[in-house]
Amino acid sequence: MPFRRGAQNDARCVIRDEDQARFRTVVLPHLGDCYRLARWLTGNRADAEDVVQEACLDAFRGITGFNGSHPRAWVLTIVRHAAYRWLRKNRPTALVVVDDLEALSAPAAQIADSAQTPEAALIAQADTARLEQAIAALPVPFREALVLRDVNGLDYRDIADVTGVPIGTVMSRLARARRRLITTLRPNEP
Amino acid sequence: MTAPEPNSDNGLLVHGYLDGELDPAHALELERALAADPALAAERDSTAALRNLIHDRFAAERAPAGLRSRIESAVGLRREQSRPTWGMLAAASVLVAVMASSTTWLTLRPPQIDVAEMVVADHLRSLMAPQPTDVSSTDRHTVKPWFNGRVPQAPKVVDLTPEGFPLIGGRVDVVGRAAVPTLVYRHNQHLISLTAVPETSASAPARRTIAGFNVLEWSDSGVRYWAVSDVGMSDLDSFAKAFREAAPE
Repeated sequence: MPFRRGAQNDARCVIRDEDQARFRTVVLPHLGDCYRLARWLTGNRADAEDVVQEACLDAFRGITGFNGSHPRAWVLTIVRHAAYRWLRKNRPTALVVVDDLEALSAPAAQIADSAQTPEAALIAQADTARLEQAIAALPVPFREALVLRDVNGLDYRDIADVTGVPIGTVMSRLARARRRLITTLRPNEP
Repeated sequence: MTAPEPNSDNGLLVHGYLDGELDPAHALELERALAADPALAAERDSTAALRNLIHDRFAAERAPAGLRSRIESAVGLRREQSRPTWGMLAAASVLVAVMASSTTWLTLRPPQIDVAEMVVADHLRSLMAPQPTDVSSTDRHTVKPWFNGRVPQAPKVVDLTPEGFPLIGGRVDVVGRAAVPTLVYRHNQHLISLTAVPETSASAPARRTIAGFNVLEWSDSGVRYWAVSDVGMSDLDSFAKAFREAAPE
C-alpha cells in the first residue's frame, strides 16, 4: 500500500520531501537539547516529551520560514514557546511577571569569607537530588537562562535570541540564578 | 557581546567572565579585581564549581529513545510498516516453536556456514512472506530470464507438472553472503524450495531433517542443489529424480 503522505496528523498539511530533508538536518540533531530544555522548564520528563513533540511539529510546519542561521537557537525558541504554552495551561503561577523578578533584590552575594571552608569544594560534591530541587525551585526566567547556558551550552547572544531579552539581562539573570543556587546548596551555617 | 559598563557590579561580571563573554579589556579589569578581592575570587570559585557541577550532572541527559521515532513518524519521516501484522506474528510464533523444538538448531550449529540450515531458513521465510516467490509463473521461459542480473548464474529451470511437481515460480535467497537462485515447486498442497549453489567441491548426495523439514542435496554439472520441503523424503527423492532427468532447455 502506498504511504499516504501527510494524512496521519494533519490532512491540510502537505508534506514535501524537501521539508522532510530540512527537518532532518535542522531539527533532529538538536533533539537532545530540546528535551533537556523542556525537561527543566516543565519540571518533569513525561511532559517534556509531549512539549518537544509538539514543538517539533511546530518547527516542521515552519521549516520553510527558517532562514538557515543558528538552527539550534531557532529550534530551542520553538521549544521554549511550546513549554510556555504548557506552563500557562498547567502551572499558571510559575509565570510571574518578569519585571517583578528583576526588581527583587538579588540575595546579597553572601560570599564565604572564611578561607578555611572552601565553598567551591563543597559545591562540587553537592547531592544531585538537592541540586535538581534547587534548580527546579528557580523562577522560570532565571531557570531558563541557567539551563540554556549551563546545560545546553548556548552563548549569551543565542540565549538573548531564544528568550527575547537583551544580553545584559541574560548575564544578570544568570548571575542571580547561580547565586541563588549557591546559597541554597551552602551547608547550613551554625 | 556589548560591553558592560566598566563601573557595573564586578560580582555580575564574574559570570560573564567565566562564560567567556567579556571582551579583553573588561576581562583584564576583572582579573585585577579578582586578584585584589578575596571575596570576589571566592565567588568566582563557587560559580565555576557550580557551572561544572550542573554540566557534569545534567548536560549529558539524552532524549528517550522512543521520542525520536515518534517525531519522525509524526512528520512522515518514518513509515508505519514496522508494525507486524497478526499474520506475521502467527507465522513467527510457529517459526519459534519449530526452532525451539529442534535442539540441534541451538546446540550443534557449526560455526562455519551450514548451507542446509540457511536454505531451511530461507524456505521458512518464504512461507511467512505474503508469497513464496519473487516471480510467480509456471512458464520456465519467464522464470529463467527473471534471474538474469539478479544472481551470477541463472539456474536450470524445468517444469515438472507431468511428474506431479508443477513449477510455480522463483526467488532470490541469500546463503552466506551470496545471492542464490531458488525455484519453487508445488506437490499437492506442499511447497518445495530448490536452491542452486555453485559447487566448490563435489560431494555425495545427502539427506537431513532440520526443524522438521526434509533436506535433500545433490550435485549435478558443477551445481549443488538443495531441496527443502515438508513433503516426505520419498516424495523429495522422486522430485530430485524427476529434476535430474528432465532435459535442460
